[in-house]
Amino acid sequence: METPNPRLAADLPVEKRPGVPRQLDELPASRAVQAEITLQPRTVLSFRHTGRTELTPVFGTASPPRGLSGLLRKKAYEIPEHKARHFLLLIGADRVDFLEHTLLPRLPFAAAAVVGASVLVRRWRRLH
Amino acid sequence: MRALSYQGPYSVKVTDKPDPGIEHPQDVVLRVTRSAICGSDLHLLHGLVPDTRVGCTFGHEFAGVVEEVGSEVRTLSAGDRIVVPFNISCGQCFFCLKGLTSCCENASAASDIVSGAFGYSHLTGGYEGGQSQYVRVPYADVGPMKIPDDMTEEDVLFLSDIFPTGYQGAEMCELAGGETVIVFGAGPVGLFAMRSAWLLGAGRVIAVDSVDYRLDFARRFAEVETVNFKEAGDVVALLREMTGGRGADAVIDAVGCEAHGKTMDRVTGIHLMLQAGSPTALTWAIQSVRKGGVVSVIGVYGPPFNLVPMGDIMNKGLTLRAGQCNVRRYMPRLLEHIREGRVDAKGIISHRFPLEEAPKAYHLFANKLDDCVKCVLMPHGHA
Repeated sequence: METPNPRLAADLPVEKRPGVPRQLDELPASRAVQAEITLQPRTVLSFRHTGRTELTPVFGTASPPRGLSGLLRKKAYEIPEHKARHFLLLIGADRVDFLEHTLLPRLPFAAAAVVGASVLVRRWRRLH
Repeated sequence: MRALSYQGPYSVKVTDKPDPGIEHPQDVVLRVTRSAICGSDLHLLHGLVPDTRVGCTFGHEFAGVVEEVGSEVRTLSAGDRIVVPFNISCGQCFFCLKGLTSCCENASAASDIVSGAFGYSHLTGGYEGGQSQYVRVPYADVGPMKIPDDMTEEDVLFLSDIFPTGYQGAEMCELAGGETVIVFGAGPVGLFAMRSAWLLGAGRVIAVDSVDYRLDFARRFAEVETVNFKEAGDVVALLREMTGGRGADAVIDAVGCEAHGKTMDRVTGIHLMLQAGSPTALTWAIQSVRKGGVVSVIGVYGPPFNLVPMGDIMNKGLTLRAGQCNVRRYMPRLLEHIREGRVDAKGIISHRFPLEEAPKAYHLFANKLDDCVKCVLMPHGHA
């Protein structure tokens, strides 16, 4: 064992350590506590894990589920978290989400290109 | 407003998004003046965190000015400058009452494993992050801390996550004075874990990484001994030799699930995704700690599982401690350390960027270019 550096060891006394004991008996009285939390209005579809019967009173509303990735995510949240396939399906949904956002916007251009190419091929065949 | 937007693995851009509003009476809307990029944001960027949706905004280390206040908020007013913990916590559930705000059960319904956090996938509640001009802050009376008038946002920015996380990592080592502590990872969290180990009475601190400029920085910032594992050959053998053959009293894993060092872990964890990322640092931590020692895990690991030497943990009689940081309870004490000059928290900032250059900042940080230690975004310029 070395000697603690007295210049640096300001929190060597345990009572100086904010996280000790790790689990408190109760919250410090200075902190505001309400009896019941107002429920946030449900404006978007949110998923919950299988162990919960309700959403939390407060939740995020970023990027709600949509498309095929949304369906996959809905399916994933029907599987308990302790099953690996819950997370594997979520990761799969993430990749589908990526494809939906990168490929689908380009689909009209791709379709137009295919139609245009087939018209050109037909004309070329008629001429030859 | 302008905000960072995730576009899929390895891709982010800055786009227009609707301004956030008050969605719950305990919300405030914050004008973000400083927002940092965290090492754990890279796990999101690299597509390793499940339910990370295209279009969402990252960012869980931020500070700013209160712009709008919900009807039930009692302690904050428009114009207050605050720093916000990355945890979103209700302050009154079973876990919050025990001080375990990182385990709050009223902030994310999507998971019973993780709890609410800003900008960190929908598993943590689907909240937008702070790498944007404005952000909604729920449970505003519980988490945020007002910034003292004589201090800047940058002075206290890292009280939002990395300083408390590093401190908690060192605190979990249960130091009684004079112990040898090894810290894997000389990134921002690792640097604060090293400084905190000294604060808590360590007698010797050794940093392990493979990036020379980061080890140089660790020697200056945290006054530690350093080991470059790429030059060490067998790093576990070297660390045991450096610690009298027994191993260190405590080891902190401040790396998490994207560790380098073992090809097999990289292939199975990162490329094939057969396990949840690469657990090399955790494996080395378990192997380089002495029998009866403590392994403290503050690097981020995700579901569903990792391949680590459980038999070593059992047979060596190790104490394995881990956890997302309960940030709020650490803020006042760590603010004192900053104020007293014991820790120069903003001293780790190596780069500042306007929000529009966030993709460049991610590129720099992820690839460890230009001696990058910590990037801070300024969504409203230098104000």
